[in-house]
Amino acid sequence: MKKTDQKNATLELSRRRFIQASGALGVAAATGGMSQVVFADGKKILKVRAYGDLRSLDPAFSQGVIDEEIQSSIYSKLIQYKPGREWGYQLDAAESIEQATPTTIKFKLKEGIMFTGGHGEMTAEDVKYSFERIIAEATESTNKPDWGTLKEVTVDSKYEGTIVFDEAYPPAWNIALPYIVGNIVSKSAWEKAGGKVDTTTPSVSGPYMHKAWEPKQRTVLARNPDWHGGSAEFDEIHILPIDDESTAQIAFEAGDLDYTRVPLGSVSNLKASPPENSTLEEYPSLFYVWVGMNVENEQLSNENLRKAIQHAIDVPSIMQASYFGAAQPSTGIIAPGLVGHREKSLVAPEMNIAKAKEYLAAAGMEGGVTVTLDVLNKAANVTTAQVIQATCAQVGINVEVNLHESGAFWSLGDSSAGERYKDIQLILNRFSMAPDPSYATAWFVTEQKGIWNWERYSDAEFDKLEAAAKAESDNTKRAAMYEKMQDLMEESGAYRFITHEATPVIYNNGVKPAFRPDGLPLFRYFASA
Amino acid sequence: MLIYCIKRIGLGILIVMLAVTLLFFMIHLVPGDPARILLGPRATPELIASMSQQLGLDKPLPIQILMFFANLFRGDMGMDVITNRPVADIVFGQLPYTLSLILTAIIGAALIGIPLGCYSAINRNSLADRVTGILSVACITAPAFVVALYSLLIFAVYLKWFPAVGAGEKGDFGDQVAHLVLPAFAIGLSWVGYLSRLVRASMLEVMGENHIRTARAYGLPERLVVFRYALKLAVLPTVTVIGVGMGFLLSAAVFTEIVFARPGLGKLIFDSISTRNYPVVMGSVLVSTILFVISTTISDLINAWLDPRIRASL
Repeated sequence: MKKTDQKNATLELSRRRFIQASGALGVAAATGGMSQVVFADGKKILKVRAYGDLRSLDPAFSQGVIDEEIQSSIYSKLIQYKPGREWGYQLDAAESIEQATPTTIKFKLKEGIMFTGGHGEMTAEDVKYSFERIIAEATESTNKPDWGTLKEVTVDSKYEGTIVFDEAYPPAWNIALPYIVGNIVSKSAWEKAGGKVDTTTPSVSGPYMHKAWEPKQRTVLARNPDWHGGSAEFDEIHILPIDDESTAQIAFEAGDLDYTRVPLGSVSNLKASPPENSTLEEYPSLFYVWVGMNVENEQLSNENLRKAIQHAIDVPSIMQASYFGAAQPSTGIIAPGLVGHREKSLVAPEMNIAKAKEYLAAAGMEGGVTVTLDVLNKAANVTTAQVIQATCAQVGINVEVNLHESGAFWSLGDSSAGERYKDIQLILNRFSMAPDPSYATAWFVTEQKGIWNWERYSDAEFDKLEAAAKAESDNTKRAAMYEKMQDLMEESGAYRFITHEATPVIYNNGVKPAFRPDGLPLFRYFASA
Repeated sequence: MLIYCIKRIGLGILIVMLAVTLLFFMIHLVPGDPARILLGPRATPELIASMSQQLGLDKPLPIQILMFFANLFRGDMGMDVITNRPVADIVFGQLPYTLSLILTAIIGAALIGIPLGCYSAINRNSLADRVTGILSVACITAPAFVVALYSLLIFAVYLKWFPAVGAGEKGDFGDQVAHLVLPAFAIGLSWVGYLSRLVRASMLEVMGENHIRTARAYGLPERLVVFRYALKLAVLPTVTVIGVGMGFLLSAAVFTEIVFARPGLGKLIFDSISTRNYPVVMGSVLVSTILFVISTTISDLINAWLDPRIRASL
């Protein structure tokens, strides 16, 4: 049966309506109340959760995943991520696209892709405008680095163009064309809007249009009747910003959502007793979590102490305590499925008390040592810190944990924000990334010292490999380079890799979802089951 | 009465200015570069410098606060640097959600708590009084976030009587009311217990006073004595407490708005502090402080209106 809108069951306070609503709820419960997407006022509405609120509808100023989940539903790209368990792409606005030379990509647009608002058909001029405005200094786009060495886009005909790079830039296929900076906007609409838009958009070409934004409450997308791909599945998609995953889970169980990510801690319970007519799926995540050590700190400059700490941290215990067994230990900073992922780390995930004591003795600290560990005040981090404290204590390393709220934490290693970066010893850190290894390694080069390289790690060989790997188009050679980079990081003793976490998602069986291999939703491909 | 009103309003303005100045300096004491946090990890140093300038962070703190007040007197609360919208639009867009939540919670609590306290006082030491006492204390000790979570589980997940998250469809009053029930219950429950204990104690004190004994001696009906002569006086401290309580409810609203994923001032302040979005922090703190000052001023004025002795002391 069709699930009625929640409001119909709760608003009327008369006895008759109450009895009717109770009866309906009873029937719904008996027949599987969450079996289909919401039909409200005759509309087919998909209700989904995002972990934050919309910030910008301009690809040049998008602040990451939250904005992209919306933008990828309303704009077209030459190629889109292919839903599934393996990374790949599929054509969207492009009829054909190919790497013509190491520094050029040739594309041909499909004919008849229309922009809304009377802004005409999409042409190669729009592609040129969309990509070049992001690298233009005047735009001041924070997403400019995603385009790497992009030089220009040449227009070869109305529908054909060439993307030209100064140097070979293979990551364009992974983090530029199918991601934020690959969104194509209407040149005429943008120019009319003054070259920049914020939380409204003058024109779109994707399956959905931006209908409304109610700050902190929802973003509403409506079906785009002019979409070149036919008719979008849903009349509307309501994207609800819910930062707390537990709240989102409750909202899902209450029937307020059709899809959400759930906390790792809920996975075993949801597996044991899943809500009726729902499906739980687990995806690996691209996040990487590690314990970094400031190599320029007086105490931690002792490599043997760093190595003692590496061996004193028991990653499997952290997986159990902080991630409830739902995540796996990582072998580095590059997640499985990506080029450069290592099958094994140099230091085994399990703690090795004997080796840790050996290194501690070599460091001249047999009598014990006290170090600090800076941590962001999230539950999983706090538990991880406690596990580290406990296992390190077994070898004589006393760990003092400093908790920080997010604003304070994210400026800890920033050398332009005072002298605090000098006092950092151990840091429990967690970065997100896009599906290209260059996105992970970019933060650990010497140039990033005092910016995002809080370990102040510096290795000429690493820097050289990082620059070379970005331009290497042979995937085998590229993989070897990234594997070597992670070896170097680990050998320095400045890093203890913890996990890539996991992305458990739940959806009602009335929905046929579409996810990237890291479990992030691709709303434009969501359908009814 | 007029002089009293003017004095209270003047004092209120001073309190607002002092509180906002104090909070401004406190926020800036917390480490964290707002420009870097706002722009994200991929921002270049040039972009960060440009954003700092845009936020006015390159100026000394006293100049920044003076500029804030100067702009405020011109009716300009600044621009949100993330969404590029006026701060006033953002703050006043969220205000109705918090106001409706707080008012529903406090009015609901008063409607239940005051009669409950009154009943307990009239039936002092009865079984009902003792049960009410235990329940009231239980309500007082239950933290709002615990009540929020359990009410969500019981009334939204299992019974499906009320929606779990959000604030309802715009323009659909019924839907908005439905979305208000659980959050208001979560923050109002402890006030039910608190008000009932307060009214009970106050009623017991008033009921022992001479004018009540005289009223009874004149043979006035008990109902008239209780509601007309005793409750009117007993409710005075409650009015004061409700005024002050608005401040506490504002902070309780933060948790509630997060748990129920509900828009509102509390969540706005929380989010903007996390992102160091200073213009929005200042705007929302200013409006919350004004809200608090207004509520305490109103409760003082109501007290003066209800109690001739206060008016006479002016």
